[in-house]
Amino acid sequence: MNELLARSLEASTVFLLAALGELVNQRSGILNVGLEGLMLFGGTAAFLVAQSTGSYPAGLAAGIAVGGLLGWIHGLFSIRLRGDQVVSGMGLWILSFGLTTYLGSPHTGPLGLPRFPALVGLSPFVYCGTLLVAAVWFVLSRTSLGLAIRSVGESPAAAAASGVNVAGIRYLCVVFGGTLAGLAGAAYTLSYNPVWNYNFLMGWGFVSLALVFFSMWNPWVLLGGSVLFGAMWQLSLSPEYVLPGVLSRYVWRTVPFGVTIAILTVISTPWFRTRWGLAKPQALGVPYTD
Amino acid sequence: MTPELEHRTPPPVLAARGISKSFPGVRALDRVDLEVAEGEVHAVLGQNGAGKTTLMNILFGLIHPDEGEVYLRGRRVRFRSPHDALASGIGMVHQTRRLVPAHTVLENLVLGHPRARGLLDLRRARQELEALCARYGVHVDLGARVWQLSEGEKQWVEILKALYAGVRILILDEPTSALTPPEVQALLRALRALVDQDGVTVVLVTHKLPVVRAVARTVTVLRAGRVAARLSVSDTTDHELVQHMVGQEVTLPTVQAPDHRGPVVLEVEDLSAYNDKGVLSLRGVSLTVHEGEIVGVAGVTGNGQEELAQVLAGLRPAVSGRVRLLGRDVTHLPTLDRWRLGLGYVPAERTEVASVAALSLVENTGLNYHFDPEFCPRGMLDRARLERLTRQILATFRVKAPHPYVRAQHLSGGNLQKLVLGRVLSRQPRLLVAHLPTQGLDVEAASFVRAQLLEAKARGAAVLLISEDLDEIFAVSDRVGALYEGRFVALVPRNEADPETVGAWMAGSLGRRA
Repeated sequence: MNELLARSLEASTVFLLAALGELVNQRSGILNVGLEGLMLFGGTAAFLVAQSTGSYPAGLAAGIAVGGLLGWIHGLFSIRLRGDQVVSGMGLWILSFGLTTYLGSPHTGPLGLPRFPALVGLSPFVYCGTLLVAAVWFVLSRTSLGLAIRSVGESPAAAAASGVNVAGIRYLCVVFGGTLAGLAGAAYTLSYNPVWNYNFLMGWGFVSLALVFFSMWNPWVLLGGSVLFGAMWQLSLSPEYVLPGVLSRYVWRTVPFGVTIAILTVISTPWFRTRWGLAKPQALGVPYTD
Repeated sequence: MTPELEHRTPPPVLAARGISKSFPGVRALDRVDLEVAEGEVHAVLGQNGAGKTTLMNILFGLIHPDEGEVYLRGRRVRFRSPHDALASGIGMVHQTRRLVPAHTVLENLVLGHPRARGLLDLRRARQELEALCARYGVHVDLGARVWQLSEGEKQWVEILKALYAGVRILILDEPTSALTPPEVQALLRALRALVDQDGVTVVLVTHKLPVVRAVARTVTVLRAGRVAARLSVSDTTDHELVQHMVGQEVTLPTVQAPDHRGPVVLEVEDLSAYNDKGVLSLRGVSLTVHEGEIVGVAGVTGNGQEELAQVLAGLRPAVSGRVRLLGRDVTHLPTLDRWRLGLGYVPAERTEVASVAALSLVENTGLNYHFDPEFCPRGMLDRARLERLTRQILATFRVKAPHPYVRAQHLSGGNLQKLVLGRVLSRQPRLLVAHLPTQGLDVEAASFVRAQLLEAKARGAAVLLISEDLDEIFAVSDRVGALYEGRFVALVPRNEADPETVGAWMAGSLGRRA
């Protein structure tokens, strides 16, 4: 049971890292639906580099760097070229899917390194993710940079008129989102499940994306949601723990999506909006032209 | 500038020389010069589309001139963005609000503040801002979210924001257009204090002569993208200023609409409705409008006027009460069916609701005709016919547009409003609901619009005019009333009230009548 808990916390962390980065870039107004692609690419890069150098730090660095680079490319399309963010994100996902398959298939199989070191029985990523949540919350709500990020995502014209560099802030956030997606991919392929398969993520990125909407763009809710989603995902792998034989694992896996759809429906009702205000950044997905 | 002149007068604190700027199809500014002396209020006067806002946006670094230079204290400056302008002590309050609606007033004020680096010290900012508010006699709840504020309060937030950032030159673009008369007076008082006590320089963009008279020392008049005159306010007359603004003698159309009230067209009984925030903001309004009659409804923004107009247009559900149009109960009738019955609606939001910016004028005209089988037989747009109608509207309503296929977004506010009004009136509506039809328009366009309302009345339409301009209400209405907190304070024939009384009604008091 303890093992299951540790595993589900580790799964939660993969969701959490990716979703936290996406949360930050969405708060600045940039939607990256290609999260799955960034995670695939970051994970594959981390796996290949760690395998060839035998070094976990090198693998992690590669995952983070590739994620950041892809985030920057998404920024280039959606900020500089003012393209459609959904199209750019989907393009990145398809590109990453294809390229990682091409680069990774010769290395299909286990990583072949000693197990990723644990810290007090848990993967170090779990601690790292929790600290990052606190850091992101602090920056967004207590610092001037955070105010600039939130303003750019709500009303870029107002931010620009206040002297905020809208494009600069958005680049910063989209690259940050990319590095965390790369880190999430690396956490998956180096620690959670250190085996390379064709399309090894199978939707983890999309669950993370759903998690951001679920969290209503609040890092602490995101943390709670990721634990919930991680546990549900882990349970779907071991359905014998919950109501054995009732539903197949594939049905269990749809539960996070079902929950997210329910949440999205509730937060978009006039009833919710008049009581809690608008949770969604108003300029999300809208290119800024001055 | 000759050397001899240079040592006689100090260089202007802010100057623009030979500024030109073109947009697709329009030359917005043509070699414009502007000089503003330190510690004065300099007014930039002009009609809609004269290029005032464009010039200010250039001074503020929001757009870049094609030609020409900007000088700050005698030094040439090139602002790449508002950030540069703010860093040089120039702030601007735009005509459209530049605030983040979801944030609190305090957060908006702190955003972009030069000292806001690293951690946000909101407690200290709050103390400083409270002191600033006290100094200028402003009351704004710093903890409120901006979307909850009235237009006047939002404007104050923007002014406070510029002052808090330590701005020495303040550009105000049409600051009085969204304000009620008492708010205008308070603003003008504060501006005088700013200039006299603190030595701030103010550039005030307006098309209102009384505002210029009240606070400005010098004035630059723009006309069609050029400088028509640069004058000292005390040496000039209103007549002269209007001449410079308009260019030739203006003959404003005057219509004497005969008073013969026909049968009731609109009958509203005990109508209530919620506003966008779920608050009951229209509470039991009753009124009738007869054929050939204009009923003028005054009120400060947010007292239920918008809800009244929208419920009548079928855009907002009524919580209770009845609306009868030509004797038929239309309370729950969809908008389109009301149009078919003879409703004409001119919404207040010219660019968001009344027109589609990216569509051509012909297509915008089609917005009131898409359901008309004569213009759309078997669902196909009869483009030739629509174009003919559009040309006719452009000609009769004196809309200045290069051609009927230009996009609506390229029209100035006044021209767009004439097009919208022309389109609605071309349907010969039995009931015309006009909400703030002259807001933000220059003198000429506004009086044209008013004349059209009178003409609609003369043709037998019932007109409900919802306005914040008391002079306008008294100029055209047969009966006048004021809404306060969702109810009529009173609704009486025009000759039984005067603007002062109605102004008191707007503020919720019964005034001298009580």
